[in-house]
Amino acid sequence: MFEAFIGGLLSVLQLKPFLLMLIGVVVGFWVGILPGIGGGPAMALMLPFIYKMTPQEAFPFLLGMHSVCASAGDITSVLFGIPGEGVSVAVILDGYAMSKKGEAGRALGAVLMSSLVGALVGAFCMTIAIPVVRPLVLAFGTPEMFMMIIVGLTCISSLSKQGKRGIMLGALAGGFGFLCSLVGQAPHAGIHRFTFHMIYLWKGLPLIPVVIGLYAVPEIIDLIIHKTAIAGDLPFVDLRKGVTEGIKDTFRHFWLTIRCSLIGTLVGVMPGLGGGIAQWVAYAHATQSAKTAEERSGFGKGDVRGIIGPGAASNSKEGGGLIPTIAFGIPTGPGMAILLGAFLLLGIVPGPDMLSKHLTLTFSMVWTIVIANILVVGGSLLCIGYLARLTMIRGTLIVPFLFILSFIGAFTANNQAADLIVTLLFGGLGYLMVRFGWPRPPFILGFILGNLAEEYLYISVFRYNVEWLFRPYVIILFFIAIGVALFPFFQERRLKMKEGKA
Amino acid sequence: MRWTGRNLMSLGLMVITAWVVIAATKWPFSTALFPVIIGALVFFLATADFLLGWFEKGKTVEKPSGGERHSPEAAVEPLMGEVLLAFSWAVGFLLLILLLGFPIAVPLFVFVFLKFHGREGWRMSLGLTALAFAAFYGLFVRVCDIPFLEGWIQNGLRALGIG
Repeated sequence: MFEAFIGGLLSVLQLKPFLLMLIGVVVGFWVGILPGIGGGPAMALMLPFIYKMTPQEAFPFLLGMHSVCASAGDITSVLFGIPGEGVSVAVILDGYAMSKKGEAGRALGAVLMSSLVGALVGAFCMTIAIPVVRPLVLAFGTPEMFMMIIVGLTCISSLSKQGKRGIMLGALAGGFGFLCSLVGQAPHAGIHRFTFHMIYLWKGLPLIPVVIGLYAVPEIIDLIIHKTAIAGDLPFVDLRKGVTEGIKDTFRHFWLTIRCSLIGTLVGVMPGLGGGIAQWVAYAHATQSAKTAEERSGFGKGDVRGIIGPGAASNSKEGGGLIPTIAFGIPTGPGMAILLGAFLLLGIVPGPDMLSKHLTLTFSMVWTIVIANILVVGGSLLCIGYLARLTMIRGTLIVPFLFILSFIGAFTANNQAADLIVTLLFGGLGYLMVRFGWPRPPFILGFILGNLAEEYLYISVFRYNVEWLFRPYVIILFFIAIGVALFPFFQERRLKMKEGKA
Repeated sequence: MRWTGRNLMSLGLMVITAWVVIAATKWPFSTALFPVIIGALVFFLATADFLLGWFEKGKTVEKPSGGERHSPEAAVEPLMGEVLLAFSWAVGFLLLILLLGFPIAVPLFVFVFLKFHGREGWRMSLGLTALAFAAFYGLFVRVCDIPFLEGWIQNGLRALGIG
C-alpha cells in the first residue's frame, strides 16, 4: 500500500501529467471565478480532450480542474457577494460582510487557507475511509437521505435568524425554497407544475439566476444607493496585512476547521447531497460553536469562523465524493458523475479493482487534489492584495461590471433571455427578504434540495409506505433535527441562567 | 394590530401556499404528495407568523439578524425613490440586452451608467467602457464562445430585410 501511495505521487509529478494538471488548475481557477460556469460543466467540456490521454494523464487534468473550482468560487463570493460556484453561497454571508468592513484580505486569507486544510483533510479521509464508509453508504436508503435534507434545512433555519420568530422565519424561507423548486415538469407523472404554459419553466427555475438574483442583485442595488465602495467609506489601507491574519485565523480555529472539513467529507460521501449542503451544514456548525449569544449574533456580520467552516467543507467534500465514486461506482454529484464518465471512456471500471489493481491510480487522484489545491492557494495568496483592493474601488465604477458579471453568469444557465428576467425577479425578492428580515440561506437550501427531497420522499412512501418513518436511522435523524431546532433555545436559556448567577 | 412589510410577506406566502395546495389537489398522488405536505406546513407556519406579527406589541423597527445582519438595510434605510431608481438601472440594463443584444448593451450600459449616474469624466467613462467591452468580447465571446442572443431590434431589422 505504501508503495502505491508513493507511486501515486511520482505518477502525478511526471512531466506530462504535471503539466496537464497545471493546465487543469488554470482552467478550473478561471471557471471557478466566472459566475455561472461550474466545475461539472467545465469538466464535461474537457472530456473530449482526454480520449488520447492515459489514465495517469487524464485524471490529474480533470481532477486538478474540478478540485480548485470551489476555492476560486469562494473568492468572488467574498469580494463581490456573487458566488462563482453554486456551492460557494454560504461563504457570502460572512465573507462579503468582512469585505464591507474593509477586511477582504483577511477573509480571502481565511477562506483560501481553510480550503486548503479542507482539501488535505478530504484527501486524507479518502485514503483511509473506504473500508469504514462502505457500511454507512450502504445503510442509508432514501428515507435516511430525506431526513438528512430535513436535518440540513433545520440547521440553517434555526441558526440563520435569532429571536422567538427566528426559527419560524427560517422554516418559512426554507419551505418557500422547497415550493419554488416545484416549478417545472413533475418527475413521475410528467405534469407541468406552475409553468404558466412557458416552455422555459418546464425544466424548473434555474439555480444560478435564482442565486445571483437573491444574493448579488440586492448588494448591487445597495452599492448604487449608497454610492460607496464595497468596503464602505473606509480609508484606503494595505489589505495584504489582513491576509496573514486570515491565515492565522484558520489555525486559531484549527479544530473548527478540522471538524468542518470532516463534515464536508461526510456529506461529500453521501450520494446526491452535493456541495451546497456541505457548506451550509458546516456554516451551521460554525455558528453553533459560538459560546455566547453576543458571539453568535456576530455571525453574518463578518465573523471569520463563518468563512472558515464553509471554506473547509467545500473542498473536503471533493475527497469525500471520490470515495463512493471510485469504490462503488456511485457518483455523489454532477462533477463526480462526469468523472465516472471519464473512467468509462478510459476503460477503467470503478469498484474493488480501484483498491487493488489500480491502487496507484487511486492514490494519484488523492495527490492531485492535494497538489492542485496547494498550487491554487499559493498562487492566490501571492496576488490576494490586488484582488482585495477591488473592494476599495468606489461603487459607481464597479457597479456596471458587477451587473455585467451577474447578468452574463445568469444567462449562461440556459442561454435564454428569461434567465435574466428570473434574476431580476429573484433580485426583487432577495431585496424584500433582506429588507424585512427574512433569512435567505434557508430559501437557497430549500430550493437546491427541493427536487431531491421530493424524489426521496416519493420513493420512501412508495417503497416503504409509512414504515419508513420507523426506520432506526430515520428516528435518530429526526431527533437530531429536533435537537438542532431546539439548541438555540437551550443555549439562550443556559446563558440567561449563567448571567443570572453572575 | 398593524401592517408591516414582514406581515405582508407572511400574508403573501399564505396566499401562495393556499394556491399551491389547491392546485395540487387536482394532480395524481405521486405529483401532489410533496407540494401538499410542504404547502400545508408552510401555510400554517405563515399563518402563525402573520398572527404573531399582527398582534405583536412594541417594536416597530424590523432588523434582520444572524446570517443577514450585515446586509443592505443594515445601514441607513434607503428611501423608496432611491430603491426604485437603483432597480430601474437593473431593469434598464435588461431592456438594453433584450433590445440590442449583449454586445451592444454591455458598452452602452457601462458608459451611460458611469456618465450619468456616476458623473464620471469623459476619459474615465470611455476608458472603462472600452475595458468592459474588451473583457466581455475577449472572455465571453472569443474564449468561452457563449452564444449571445441578438437583440429584438436587430431581429426586427433583419425581418424587414434591412442589414
